[in-house]
Amino acid sequence: MGAAQGTTIPRRDPAVVMRLARLGSFHQSRLSFMRILTRRMATENWKFSRPVFNIDEKGVGHAVYSAAGPQRTYSLVAFAHDLPSEKRSDRVIADAWDATFALFDGVPDAQDIERLAENVPLQEAGRVSESELSLSRANRSVRLWAHVVEALAGGRQPDLKQVRDVGYLMRTTAVYGSGKFGAADREVIADRPEMLAPFQAEMLSVYLTRAFVRDLVQHMAHVTGGGSAAVLAPDIARELGIGNSTGLGMAPYIINHPVLFNNWIMVREEAIARVRSVAVASDVEIAVFRETFQRALISIAAWHSEHPIQTAKLASLRKDLEALGRRIAGEDLRGDQPWNRLFLWAQAELGEDAQEFVASIMLEPYGALVDGLADCMADSNSDAFRIAGTMTVEQLRALVEQSYGWALNVDWDAPENCARAWYVSEEKLEPRLGERFSEPIAEYEQPLAPARDAAVLHTALAGWPDETPIAEVLLAHPEHRHSVRRAQISAIAPYGEIRDNTIGATVLPIDMLRCKLSFFGATHFDPRSDRWVRICMYAGAPYPEELTLGNEDDWVYPKGVTE
Amino acid sequence: MRFSLNEVEGTAKRAARGAGYSWGMAEEAAKATRFLCAHGLDGCGLLAGLLDRVDGADLRGFTPRSIAGEWAAASKQLCPVSAGAALSDHAALLPTGKVAMRGVLFPALVLPFAAAVARHLETPVAVEWDGARILLDGSDMELSGDAAAPITNRLSIARGGAIEAPVARSSRAAPDARDWAELNRFAHRTYAPATEASRLLGAGTALSDND
Repeated sequence: MGAAQGTTIPRRDPAVVMRLARLGSFHQSRLSFMRILTRRMATENWKFSRPVFNIDEKGVGHAVYSAAGPQRTYSLVAFAHDLPSEKRSDRVIADAWDATFALFDGVPDAQDIERLAENVPLQEAGRVSESELSLSRANRSVRLWAHVVEALAGGRQPDLKQVRDVGYLMRTTAVYGSGKFGAADREVIADRPEMLAPFQAEMLSVYLTRAFVRDLVQHMAHVTGGGSAAVLAPDIARELGIGNSTGLGMAPYIINHPVLFNNWIMVREEAIARVRSVAVASDVEIAVFRETFQRALISIAAWHSEHPIQTAKLASLRKDLEALGRRIAGEDLRGDQPWNRLFLWAQAELGEDAQEFVASIMLEPYGALVDGLADCMADSNSDAFRIAGTMTVEQLRALVEQSYGWALNVDWDAPENCARAWYVSEEKLEPRLGERFSEPIAEYEQPLAPARDAAVLHTALAGWPDETPIAEVLLAHPEHRHSVRRAQISAIAPYGEIRDNTIGATVLPIDMLRCKLSFFGATHFDPRSDRWVRICMYAGAPYPEELTLGNEDDWVYPKGVTE
Repeated sequence: MRFSLNEVEGTAKRAARGAGYSWGMAEEAAKATRFLCAHGLDGCGLLAGLLDRVDGADLRGFTPRSIAGEWAAASKQLCPVSAGAALSDHAALLPTGKVAMRGVLFPALVLPFAAAVARHLETPVAVEWDGARILLDGSDMELSGDAAAPITNRLSIARGGAIEAPVARSSRAAPDARDWAELNRFAHRTYAPATEASRLLGAGTALSDND
């Protein structure tokens, strides 16, 4: 992606963007993977059906939801279980769930269903095949589930306040794709237009899961209430999203895929630069922006968390948004480069959370400038892995200084700068973050501190003549191979590297989680600790049978209070 | 059992790391194993064989001592991943000549690196040892002879050749169960034993999810 024609304002410097505090302040945007999916499905007029709904009176059974695009059909195969409450855990170490799912490539026949029924409920302990594109599970929000079933069974609609307080009837606790547990590799689907943007299979799986969960709660209300049960009102159903509970697994992902991560960030930065470069905004564009801002405020107002970090961030964000509201009301947005002026004002006057909020919503009036960039978000550059051995020590040193300059003066031996270590636990093979000096984990450390390792490389390079090819250095010192590769990748992927300490005493893994989840399109980040977060997906979205051009994209912003 | 290529790559990376390779070399071993599986060869068996051979030894004894003349290792056994990575790094040598190696362990593991060179130089590359001759153009591979040898006396890599009958691609791997178990045995060395404290602290929260 080169600089776009007509862009007079450059993308922001990676040194500004790639700080953890800023990445941990990102908001969803037009380029979120959920919105890319719903735009495509509406534009291409996808057809949805529910060929199987075979659930008994205890809520146990299976169902199939199919989504047919222009060339291919994908089907969510859902299994509903009767889970004892003591087994309900969001952690990856759980071994039973309220519901389990696979996204099937095509329409499954009876044999496929039989095979999946033997494996999908086991999740990590089962095996899926190349016909499956994702494997996932979800647990109920116990309180809201009970309330909604009871209300509907009694012939009443659920209490809107309770619906809004929780936001979802079930939350997924893992959505595995890309070859996990035997599923199809990314390469199998990467050439399909509908799967080109990242995580489209996973986003489709969650979208269909939301429809299944709505149908299941209705089914249970009918079982309990019989003929007098109420049908969940579509307006209330639409407010329900799917929750997601995410732990540390996502943090290593963005470090381990620097080219992919770069493409997400660079595309968003390019979109921001394009909109900042708009010379004059039309009345329609200004109106769209003002409306989006007002609707986004409703979403932010409904965002709750009890975690001290998030409570403080939210308070600061809301205060900033009041100031932003005053600024927008008083600002003449018709003048010269109005979005750039607003952006620069936000940069000077507001905190990072509000700055990134402005950056995201300012893209809303400009689908024509922004949406096409979605095609650039995948990683198709498999050549980036190969090290260019002819690069000289001098050139590599310059690259390291450019991408990791901030890290070269850090004392990496000081306990506070290397207090943590990332490791993989023997149990369920999940990534964890531990205390280097009080737990026996250092010898198991994963390569997830690229800045520290780059600093070590930089020191090592000092001992070599400038003109030495890096191939010669690596022959003698294979221990630097990982860092040399990353430094070379940083030349083509300037936004691929987090420019902060990922092992310091004060690192907050939730910053990495929020960044990744914001690209998914998540809202309502609610940390449960510094390394564990609950979020909401698809709240406000039309259900499959409602999806049409007109409601396909702006559903993420609430339309207003309808008490 | 059949595995996705992602599973192969992930397991191979951990296994190579567990056997003592640096993370960067483990990544090379993993990509190489995946390449071989994708081209219908037994990448997992070859890597398991290699890791068994070098396990516990000082890996420096298996790397090329020099890239001048014939490449050889102090132990007289050349690691194909170390030699392959060096070959890829020194791809610039190939346009003007050929690279010869001696005493290469599991020589098929050199092939993915030769493919990377072919792709980089945009020219087919031929790899020969004993009775085997393999052509690579960066994408496809043509194989004649037995690629499964555990060690070869001499191996040469040169430009040239044209692929006429490429091997069929595979999107899955079906490793021998013993080899897969062996890779997992090595991979297991990279996992920290779980403790109750790490269960709670390392992953995140002691709050109940039953809400």
